[in-house]
Order: sequence, then structure tokens, then C-alpha cells
Amino acid sequence: MNTTRRRFMQTAAGSTALVSAPNFLLNLNAHAALDKQNNDNILVVVQLSGGNDGLNTVVPYGDDSYNKNRFTLRIAKQQVLKLNNYIGLHPAMTGMKELYDEGKLAILQGIGYPNPNRSHFASMDIWHTARLDAPEDTNPARRTGWIGRYLDGALSGKGLDVPALHLGSDRQPLAVVGQDVRVPSVQSLEGFKFQTGGDQKLAKAVKAANTVARPASNDLLNFMHRSTVTAMDSSKQVQDATRNYSTPVKYPGSGLAKKLKTVAQLIDAGLTTRVYYVTLGGFDTHANQQQAHFGLLKQLSDAVNAFMKDITHHGHNKRVLLMSFSEFGRRIKENASRGTDHGAAAPMFILGDPARSGIIGAHPSLTNTQQGDLKEHTDFRQVYASVLDEWLRFDSRKVLGRKFTRLDVLDT
Amino acid sequence: MATDLSKLDPTRAWNAYEPGKSKPWTRRMAAHLYRRAGFGATSEQLDEAVKLGPAGTIKQLMNPKTDSGDTKEFKRFETEMELMTQTVMGGEESHQLAAWWLYRMVATPHQLLEKTTLFWHGHFATSADKVRDSDLMMRQNELLRKYALGKFEPLVQQMSRDAAMLYWLDSTTNRKARPNENYGRELMELFCLGEGNYTEKDIKEVARAFTGWELRRDRFKFNQYQHDDGLKSFLGSTGKFNGDDAVRIVLEQPAAPRFIATKLVRYFVSEEPPIPARLIEPIAKQLRQNSFDVGPVVQRILSSNLFFDSVGAKVRSPVELAIGLLRALEGRGNVTQLAGALGRLGQGVFYPPSVKGWDGGRTWIDSSTLLGRANMVRSIVTANNVRFKAGSLAAIADQAKVNQPDQLVDWLLELLVAVPLPDQSRTALIELASSGGGDRSEQIGRLIHAISAQPEFQLC
Repeated sequence: MNTTRRRFMQTAAGSTALVSAPNFLLNLNAHAALDKQNNDNILVVVQLSGGNDGLNTVVPYGDDSYNKNRFTLRIAKQQVLKLNNYIGLHPAMTGMKELYDEGKLAILQGIGYPNPNRSHFASMDIWHTARLDAPEDTNPARRTGWIGRYLDGALSGKGLDVPALHLGSDRQPLAVVGQDVRVPSVQSLEGFKFQTGGDQKLAKAVKAANTVARPASNDLLNFMHRSTVTAMDSSKQVQDATRNYSTPVKYPGSGLAKKLKTVAQLIDAGLTTRVYYVTLGGFDTHANQQQAHFGLLKQLSDAVNAFMKDITHHGHNKRVLLMSFSEFGRRIKENASRGTDHGAAAPMFILGDPARSGIIGAHPSLTNTQQGDLKEHTDFRQVYASVLDEWLRFDSRKVLGRKFTRLDVLDT
Repeated sequence: MATDLSKLDPTRAWNAYEPGKSKPWTRRMAAHLYRRAGFGATSEQLDEAVKLGPAGTIKQLMNPKTDSGDTKEFKRFETEMELMTQTVMGGEESHQLAAWWLYRMVATPHQLLEKTTLFWHGHFATSADKVRDSDLMMRQNELLRKYALGKFEPLVQQMSRDAAMLYWLDSTTNRKARPNENYGRELMELFCLGEGNYTEKDIKEVARAFTGWELRRDRFKFNQYQHDDGLKSFLGSTGKFNGDDAVRIVLEQPAAPRFIATKLVRYFVSEEPPIPARLIEPIAKQLRQNSFDVGPVVQRILSSNLFFDSVGAKVRSPVELAIGLLRALEGRGNVTQLAGALGRLGQGVFYPPSVKGWDGGRTWIDSSTLLGRANMVRSIVTANNVRFKAGSLAAIADQAKVNQPDQLVDWLLELLVAVPLPDQSRTALIELASSGGGDRSEQIGRLIHAISAQPEFQLC
């Protein structure tokens, strides 16, 4: 029997096969083991779309300027979840306060970039591409994202399936777009399943028909055959793994919580995926911000709290790091509609056991400002550099184009 | 491809296929022609094609208006599309655009025209995601359709003035003090020549030729005050060139007909392995000698021995798969939903992933999309919002006089799948067809669903 045929038969039989199919999840365990030799750290990115009001997230309640500029939106001293005698978290963020107290939350203050752009689209592009300007000769339609470039550099050609996953029905973020690696967007686990409506005969017939060898001479057909068998097997594995998945952690019913629960399930199922990307929208609070912002921060905080508990329960807490960002913060002074307009610097969060818990960097001044906005003292690319070099263990210069001074965001 | 391309004689490759004992003209061959030249044929169309022969069928595909005598069908279609167009243009929702085009693909009497328009959309890939204006996207689409089987040079000239394209490439202003290189670069790299056939200096000089080409109120405008009217030197020519000159000079390069010929052959014949330059040459030559007239070249490709040797040598794109199925069964469904599903499978029309268009071939395939393809087929054949012209799936089978389980399986495989399944796989399907459950239409739907989860179904 020639090797092609033997390999194929093993796959068909569902045993541990060394198939070089460039697709999803073949042989989960073998890959997990392989990857472990290098580094199996996982990064979860939570994008807060619309421009989160950093000042009402990490609140400088001890600052007079804050109370003056936020005449209706200010959060009273008694309500703030105090971190020290100057700043505290928004009262909706009890879940994240708990993580802070447990030593699992790093609060990075004053993050931004020089000459901040206040357009959602342009600023989000900057965060996604990690480039302040598209070079003159780069066609905008050909831009790549920072995660995409990491995947291209670190994982392309390694045969690891699904190096990154974007979860959600929103458009795929530019951050994960690479030159070579394609990142699937998965709406739900439901979609990653051969749907039969419970028709056992159908499932059996499809399996029987798929198990038959295809003529070895037809390379394209063989590729398609391996891919099909892999898809069916891996979806079954994921479905089984996630069906048997149980957790004592009660997740809230929010959309973000559902996505993070799926991430937790996939991590536990042994996927080799290194980066998960989810978004939470609605932060563009130009009017009547108070209630909306409360709801958003609660959603964020409760969801990541449940996620961290879940990860910990299943023993993955040492290898999962979560990072949140927004394209910009908001103006210091609230507007006439009880809302806030597009601003500049804002805090970022890094969560998880490996995070160096605490407050990193000073709160930006509310009086020494740039066009009425907070000034950044730390470039967001320094945060990316730290995560790439120290967490994903990939030379950040290859992604960011140059060296950035790292921040101490991880426990050592 | 089954044929060894390195040994193939170019003359034989592009000579017209003549049916013979070793390669008879059958329903299967006709289905291949329809899948590639268009999206798919009905069982009835296959019978007609067998009667007409390959040349007659190709002639009809090239020009359905005059040859098949169904001018009425055409008029009805155009009126229907006109109404839909107005609805889409009035709407804010740009995803309606995709639905509009998919409907066109499902319903048009001129499949080859839509198939070729889709080719050019992938070639001049422009995304509504950035342009964000249905009107402009629609105008570009009409432009692509107008020249799809016509001359390439006027298409490029018009495209260089197309509002959606200029927004897409950030070339809405192009001042002589700061020439924008985007359009010049893509003109050569992606639209006309391919990488390696120009220098960085050529790009800079071509960009100067396009200075003063602007949009005003979404219409092309030549601003002579911003045009650099000095001497430019590129691709071996020197002169006070403007944008039109630049297009002309670019297209005079020997690389241009080769580049377009290669892309057309990839699209209609086979994506892998790469077709050797030796085999491309006759097609490139024809383009060069006939002022880039695309229609006759497409006709030659579709008529050729190489084309009829390439059954199953391509991976079906999501659009080909879905529209092909709907056309074979004469089904009409919710095209808005379909547009969403196709986007998730990697081919959102009007939303190409980048200016390079879709890579195609094996890149369509991963576990997620394979499962998604089968699930999409399931939703088409089992959803009650898909209407079949014959009334039901059972009625279609009745019309084709197909009764027994084995007849049914063979008929469906011939209609829907380019590559024969192994005997044992076929047997498994026949067993499924013989096992009870549901009415006859449900049974057939289930069978089509099972077929869609076979590797052969992804090829065309």
C-alpha cells in the first residue's frame, strides 16, 4: 500500500493520522502536545467598540477637575469601588473589582498614541493595524492587522489549525487579517456542526459514503476528501467536548458572556487556537450616557469575571490572558446631552492569573490636557509589544516594525 | 487536472473539442459546460444541450438572446431587474446589493454574462464595506457587466474614472504636488500586468499621469489645474502623458495579454497546477491581435479540448455552489439570507476581502466552510421558503421520469456533481434513498443534502 493511501485510511478510520490537511483542528490532541513544546499561551482580546469613557470606568473620584467637568455624569465618591484614595472603578464593575482584589487585574492608565485621531473608523484602524499612518504606498485595502502579522510570522506553515478565531456575527476585525493566515469567524458552535436535524440515517449514510477511499491519482479530490473527513471528525469532537462541557460557573445571559463561554469551551476542548477575538459594541455614548454606560460596564465586568472563574475551574488559568481596549476615550468635559464626545487617552485592562495585578502608570492629568482631552503617556504599541514578546513569545519588532519599550504587565 | 499539462501541445489544447468514442458528448459533459460557463443547468437543459452538441450549446451560452428565440424571457427578466434595481438604489442597506446580484445570477437567461461579470468583480475587486454607497457600487457593477464580454481597454479606461473604484483606492483627489500612487500601482500590479512587470519608478510616473483625475459630487472630473503636464517616462515610453495614455501604454506591454489570458484560463478551466506559459500563449496572442476582445477568447476557451479535459479540476466557489444548485433545481429563495450565508462561507459579493479579490481554489476550504456548505445546502433543499418552479423536488424528479432509488441517485449525481463517486459511496446513498421517512420531496432533499457533504460536491 502506498503512503498516501495508508495515511488516508487512518484518517478515515479516525485514528491518529499525520495528515497535512491545511484546515481545521485535525487531531486535536497531537497538535496540542506539539504546540506545548513551544508555548501554548492563549490571548483573548475584548474590543470595546465606540470609544469607552475611560474617565467613568477608572474614575479619578479624588480629583476636583473630574467632579467639575462631569457635572451630571460624575460618580459619587461613596459609589466608586475604590482602588486607592484617588481612583476607583465604576460601581457596575464589581466583577472586575473582585478580580483586582484576587490579584488578577492589571489596570493600564493613560494609554493612547500621539496626535490622536477622533474618528471611530480611523482610530480603530490605528489600533488594529498598530500603525499610526498607512505608509503612502500601502493600499488601504491591503492593510494587515497586528494579530494577523503575528499569525503570519509565528504560525503560518506550521500546520496548526485555526491559529485564531473571531467569535461573533460582526464583521471580521482588521486586527486579525493577515497576509497568509486566514482567521475564521465563527458565529456560534451551532454553525460548527454538520446539521442533520437528528436524522440518524442521514448521518450514517454520509459517514459511510465519506469513509470510502478516493482514487489516489486525483490530488485535488484527495485534498477535499481529507478536508471533509477532518471537518466531520473535528466538528464531532468539538460538539462532544462542548456537549460534555459543564461548569459550575453561572454566566450572565449577555451576548459577551455567551461569547466568552464559548471561548472557555473551545479552550477546554483542546483547540490549538492562540488568539480569540470578541467585541462588545455600544460605547459611543454621546447622549444620556449614565444608564447605557452602567449596563455596558456591568456586562463587561460580569462576563470576564465568570470567564476567569470558569477558566480557573478547568485549570487553564495559567495560560489564558485577556486584554481589553477601545479605540479612544472620551472628552473630559461632558456635553450638553448628558453624554460625552470622542476623546483620546484611556485605560486598558489585562486580566488573568499571569497579569501583574495592580495599577500600572499614573492617571493622566485632568488639567494638563491636549485639546480638552487626556494626554497619553504610554503608547498602546508598548502594550502590544509586551503581550507579543512576553506572552505569545514572538518578536514584537516583526509585528510592530520597530522596538517599543515594554511595560511590565505580566507576573514574573 | 487529469491531463499532464507539461506534455500538452498548445495547438491541440485550444483546438475545439470534437466528441468521439473516447470522449463522447453526454449529459455529464453538458453539465460541466454549464457549471463553468454559467452556474448550472436543469435536467431539461442538459437534454437540449445533448441534442445541440457542444458548439451549438456554447453558441447559445454566448448569446442566448438571438439563438434560443426566448427574447420574451429576456424582456421579462430585464423589467424585473429594473424594478429591483430601483428598490436597492433607494435603500440604505448595502447588503441588499448582494441580494440583488444573487437574484440576477439565479434568474438571468444569460448565465455566462453574470459569470464573467463575477470574474471582473474579483479582478477589479472593490468592497462596499469601504465605498458605503449602493449607488456607486451598482454603477460599477453595471460597468463590469457592460464590458464583461467586450473589449478590455475601454473597461480599464472607464474603471479608471469609476467613482467606487476611486473611493476604494483613496484616489478621489490626485494633486500634482502629491501624486497618489495607489491607482497607478494597482493598475499595473493587479489589473493589467502582474507583479514583476514594472518598476517602482514606473508607478511614480504613472501616478503623475493620473494627477488631476478627481471626483466631484461622485462623478469623474478632470481638473486641469492639478494635472502635471510635464514629461513622464514609464515602461519605455516618454511623453506628456495623461491617464488615458497611461492605460494605453500599460496595455501595450506584452505582459498585459498574458496576464489577462492567465486569469481567464484560471477562472474558466483550472486553478492548479498553474497553466504553463506555453499553453497561455495562444490565448494571449488572440487577445493581443483582437484588441483585447474578451468574448471570442472566452468562447475559444470554453470550446477547447483543454476545457473538456478539466472536469472536476476546480474548487467550487460558494456562489457557484449555491447558484448552481438553485439553477439546476429552478429554485427561488430568500436571496438576502443567501447573501449572508455566502459571506460567511468567504464570498460576500460586493464585499471581496481585499483589492486582490478572492484567492479561490483550495483557500475556499476549511472545516468551518465545509460544514457551512453542507448546512447551506440543507437550508436550501429543506427550507419551505425556497420555491421550485416545478412545484416541489418530487415534481422535478417526476418530470425527469426518475423513480427507483438507484435512478434517483444517479440522476442527482449527474445533475449536481462533476466527479463520479466511488461505487461504495454511491451504494450508501442508494441505501439512504431506499430507507423511509418523510414524503418524496423530503427524501430527495435529504439525498441532496447527503451528496453535498461528499468531497466530490465541492469540485466543478
